[in-house]
Amino acid sequence: MKQTTWWREYQPLIISLGLVVGLSLLAWRGLGTQAFIRTTLSGLTLSALFFMVAAGLTLVFGLMDVLNFAQGSMFMIGAYLGWQFYTNPTFLFGLAPLVLALIAGLMGMALLYPLVHSWKLSPDRQKLLRAALLLLALLLALLGLWQYDVRGLAKTAMVSSMVASNPLAEASPQEPLARFWVRPLLVFLAGWCIALAQARPGDETLVVQRSETRRSAFLLAGLVLLTIVSTLVRESGPIAVLLLNGNLRFFLALLTSLLVGLALGSVIERLLISPLYTRPLYQILITMGLAYVIGELVQLLWDPLPYAMDRPPLFAQPGKAETVLEWLRQGSATLNIFGVTFPTYRLFIIFLGITMFVALSLVMKYSRLGMIIRAGVQDRDMVEALGINVRRVFTLVFAMGTALAALGGIGAAPFMPVEPVMGDRFLMQGFITVVIGGMGSTTGAALGALLLGLARAFGDYLALKYGLTPSISEASTVIIMVIVLLARPSGLLGKKE
Amino acid sequence: MAESLPHDLILSVEAIHTYIGQFHILEGVSLQVRRGSITVLLGRNGAGKTTTLKSILGLTPPRLGRVVFDGVEIQGKHAYDIAAMGIGYVPEHRAIFRHLTVAENLRLAERKKGDLERKADFIFRLFPDLKRLYKLGGAQLSGGQQQMLAIARALVADNKLLLIDEPSEGLAPVIIEQMMEAIRELSTTTTVLLVEQNFLMASRLGQDYYIIDDGKTVHQGRMEDLLRNEALIHQYLGASIRQGGGVA
Repeated sequence: MKQTTWWREYQPLIISLGLVVGLSLLAWRGLGTQAFIRTTLSGLTLSALFFMVAAGLTLVFGLMDVLNFAQGSMFMIGAYLGWQFYTNPTFLFGLAPLVLALIAGLMGMALLYPLVHSWKLSPDRQKLLRAALLLLALLLALLGLWQYDVRGLAKTAMVSSMVASNPLAEASPQEPLARFWVRPLLVFLAGWCIALAQARPGDETLVVQRSETRRSAFLLAGLVLLTIVSTLVRESGPIAVLLLNGNLRFFLALLTSLLVGLALGSVIERLLISPLYTRPLYQILITMGLAYVIGELVQLLWDPLPYAMDRPPLFAQPGKAETVLEWLRQGSATLNIFGVTFPTYRLFIIFLGITMFVALSLVMKYSRLGMIIRAGVQDRDMVEALGINVRRVFTLVFAMGTALAALGGIGAAPFMPVEPVMGDRFLMQGFITVVIGGMGSTTGAALGALLLGLARAFGDYLALKYGLTPSISEASTVIIMVIVLLARPSGLLGKKE
Repeated sequence: MAESLPHDLILSVEAIHTYIGQFHILEGVSLQVRRGSITVLLGRNGAGKTTTLKSILGLTPPRLGRVVFDGVEIQGKHAYDIAAMGIGYVPEHRAIFRHLTVAENLRLAERKKGDLERKADFIFRLFPDLKRLYKLGGAQLSGGQQQMLAIARALVADNKLLLIDEPSEGLAPVIIEQMMEAIRELSTTTTVLLVEQNFLMASRLGQDYYIIDDGKTVHQGRMEDLLRNEALIHQYLGASIRQGGGVA
């Protein structure tokens, strides 16, 4: 009995992996070794990118039933911010104090709560007070940003990537500190007002635990410190970053995108998604709307142009390396793999995808968070009934999903044009990947991405070879989806009920 | 019903009304559970027994009425906050996490680190089978084993009250016997509110009873009084007596 259930659980995995291997062998015989290796590696590059978008989608849908149409935008934002950090971080350093100040202000919620919750106010007065506070916050924030040249800051990386000379020449057109210092202060006060409104003065039904208050106090202190530091290093910071070794700078760019993705994801979930859990349709609409807003904002800041991000030095030197060691020593742009010349940066993308898959699988299998997610995908109510704060888990999972997409974005940036529509294609492919792999399964997402990426690459190759229309490879993804859904309506490894 | 002082009550449900979508499922259910007792909730299929449990726990929050647990009003709170106050839930259909192992199912129920280690002896004494099955996946367990796991899961954290929904459903008589023993045993350490269709099991375990019909509490009292009142049993529970093998 043990063996049969084991077989039932892994049957789709084994069959589809077998199919991939079998078809690959066939393709190998048909195409010859060289073409086969090149096409497979191209396919894996695509698979890795698909996976990075799909991993977040599958977790968020599996656990929270939220279709996140903004996932492609997160991919795009990750690419833009990482590109900015790598090419010229002036923009990021200029905005950091304001963002940090706002978040620091918001942390005041749990601190203000014990002071204000027992105020004697009628429900009408409470509502009025909250509205007034939010209005005041808006005013303060606007005042804080008054005549702040955000677009000018955003343009710095454009200029330096166009002249392609020494970026340090353009590094720091920041406002002098004597004029700048009021801005973070005003934004901090704006955040404080929002926090006060969120603490719901006079509302006795809200409960905030004491441990939460203490944690918020620590966070608040840390963030205020960070705000002050970041205000002081607005000019020296970008220069210091640009003087760093290019590879290290690229690594830091990856980290920046990941962190921004996490922060952005938590804010979006808290602010836009969580008030709408009782209205699932609105959640879809709001993520779609968000995608448009983000797209327009990016166009406003950076103009609707495609930018080419330089590859980090490890992948940039012209010439072909014969071995991996030689590549790592010289930083060659291409590598000889069994007689095939293949760009090293694409190998890095594959590596990034695999690393992410392994890390995510380990989290899912061994951590308490992973256990909660796996359990929650099957039965959310029961997880709640065990006393687990699912709302907090939702925020965390949503943030994880957007962070993965943002990381995928910066990973893809040196490989494709950085432009406002760069995430759209990956969003569609990501959804198809999730449908094929099954909602809520990381392994399923990886398997779906593998199938789609390889199908695209081989489809392209065959279309080129036999003079067929390239639409064939695009159609292949939908054909695979139809076949999978006919055989298994819940996807290859779907666990959702 | 016997007089009970307020501090003897661990749970008091006062005229709750619960809606699911458009449907008015509970139209004023009231009940009280004495500390340390086993209280049984009886009634036909669809009478609202399961919804009552879910309303207490906040999974289907009541729109009207009060729920007082251990001296604190809990209606309107999040389900996870209510559960964390010390209520364990054993849902119907043995809803364990089938994609998790037995060990993970139990580990997930921890509220403090080390809960499971502290309770392991008690749990394995109640259900020795689980020790043997510890590493298996939830989907590989038989129905009875799944039910044991579902109850064991509610015992991991320090719960003052267990809500147990139809533990005998779909189980073989031998296993039901075992389950009854286990519930009797665990009731020495906590209070139990039990929903049970199997009247034989309900009558042998329960001390107090409530009968729910059409979303309302229609009868309540001591179990020994109910056993003498065959007309009442027939009126509200007719079908389930025969199913359960009749009253002694």
